Amino acid sequence: MDLSVLLQILVWGLYAGCIYILLAIGLNLIFGVMKVVNFAHGELLMLGAYAAFWIYTLSGINPYLIIALAMILLGIIGVFIERLCFRPIMGTGKLNEIFLSLGLIYLFQNLAALLWTTGSRSIHSPYSDVSVSIGSIRLPLDYIIIIVFTILFLIAFQLFMKRTTLGRAMRATSQNREAAALMGIHVERMDMLSFALGSALAAAAGSLWLISGQIANPYMGSIPAIKAFAVIIIGGLGSIPGAIVAGLTLGIAENVLPLFIQSFVGLFGVSMSFTAWKDTIAFFILIIVLVIRPTGIFGEKGE
Amino acid sequence: MIMLEIKGLNVAYDKVQVLWDVSFNINEGEIVTLLGSNGAGKSTTVKTIQGLLKSRSGSIRFMDKSIGGLPAYKVVAAGISLVPEGREIFPKMSVLENLILGAYVPRARAKDLRDESLDWVFKLFPKLEERKKQLAGTMSGGEQQMLAIARALMSKPKLLMLDEPSLGLAPVLVLQVFDIIKKLNEEGVTILLVEQNVHHALGLSDRAYVLEKGRTILEGKGFELLSDKYVKEAYLGM
Repeated sequence: MDLSVLLQILVWGLYAGCIYILLAIGLNLIFGVMKVVNFAHGELLMLGAYAAFWIYTLSGINPYLIIALAMILLGIIGVFIERLCFRPIMGTGKLNEIFLSLGLIYLFQNLAALLWTTGSRSIHSPYSDVSVSIGSIRLPLDYIIIIVFTILFLIAFQLFMKRTTLGRAMRATSQNREAAALMGIHVERMDMLSFALGSALAAAAGSLWLISGQIANPYMGSIPAIKAFAVIIIGGLGSIPGAIVAGLTLGIAENVLPLFIQSFVGLFGVSMSFTAWKDTIAFFILIIVLVIRPTGIFGEKGE
Repeated sequence: MIMLEIKGLNVAYDKVQVLWDVSFNINEGEIVTLLGSNGAGKSTTVKTIQGLLKSRSGSIRFMDKSIGGLPAYKVVAAGISLVPEGREIFPKMSVLENLILGAYVPRARAKDLRDESLDWVFKLFPKLEERKKQLAGTMSGGEQQMLAIARALMSKPKLLMLDEPSLGLAPVLVLQVFDIIKKLNEEGVTILLVEQNVHHALGLSDRAYVLEKGRTILEGKGFELLSDKYVKEAYLGM
């Protein structure tokens, strides 16, 4: 296999990894603060993508500028979901939370299908024809922008959590809810904030996905969401560094491994494509990690 | 002047009633102890005052304002701080971050006020200053208890409630904790102490109430209760 092809696939993997990381960090944040697993997180990504699509279609401004708007919009939707759906049933049992968020999946998917049909939507990035040459390889500019965007988001998120009073209060709530209340922290407000922030990160993932040339449809969220769950479990529940490492590993592995296997079986004279196995690889890695280290790579309780 | 006044407090967990018509009060500047065996309702009482639990009926007045039914964060803002049983520090944060969180309430949050409070608690607990970068969860039980007290002080409370601060500590540390409580009281902090360590607690207190099965059954001056026949039999094993 050509080295430049491998590098190109590596960048493709990094880019896919970025989407998983943005989703996984939001999920981790919501789980950390509220102890709720939001199974409908992929649908927030879908809504984020549609938000970006409509803002772009109606205004025509540079799609990269739209990301912030889509994030704010989904942040507000996140507040409503937390207040109207999760808060009334908090503390009534895990099963209720699970069924509620599973129900939200179908609610949002069908609502999107009803409002915007099940047809695929896409937008055209102004840079879709631009690629950057590094040595012998050519990389689409959009992928590079997305990788840079994700890095910036992660740095901003980390600074917010570590340096600001609000971020510290959210971390305190996730470590010990009762003690946080004793510090004078309004813990229900932290729930709301974590849901808003998690939804905004999902919107960032969804709009970046759309801008980079992927299509949006009402069901686009399921696969990335399942991958994000795999990322969280591989990285360790609640661990942000874990989510970053696992997200990148997964993104790269699922893109590089099929090619490796293909060239490996090629040695025996078998010509067969393994790209359709992409989604299987995530779960194969997941199973291996769970067998070797059930708490995940960076796994332990807290934060 | 009465600082905290509890009248006819009834508290229940689901259908099990834990407090029955509990009434007591604390004057400004006092150290008052709540005595009682396990399950008597001492922790329930302080948690209800703090707003972590809701009462079924009864009134809680603090500084002439009703605080009954307020959520915990508003009670903290009103000037009551609780050092919970079992310390409940934030294990994955540094000592300094724990203390900064202690000053979360608007009244104590400003940078200069916070630095002032930090100076104050570091003077009371010099060890915490040496350890300020250490992760709180890696400290010993005694140090964690000191941190929990210091953290509660960061909000500059008018009333400090301590739930079994000597629990699980070595005898030397127990004495240290009681010394600190005395020192704080001399600096003007009113104190409500929940203790099983009857001898030390009563020696330190102005007044004490004895709770049994969720009711206040005795009240008296600290030293008087020490020689009370019932207290001697029930708690001092004499």
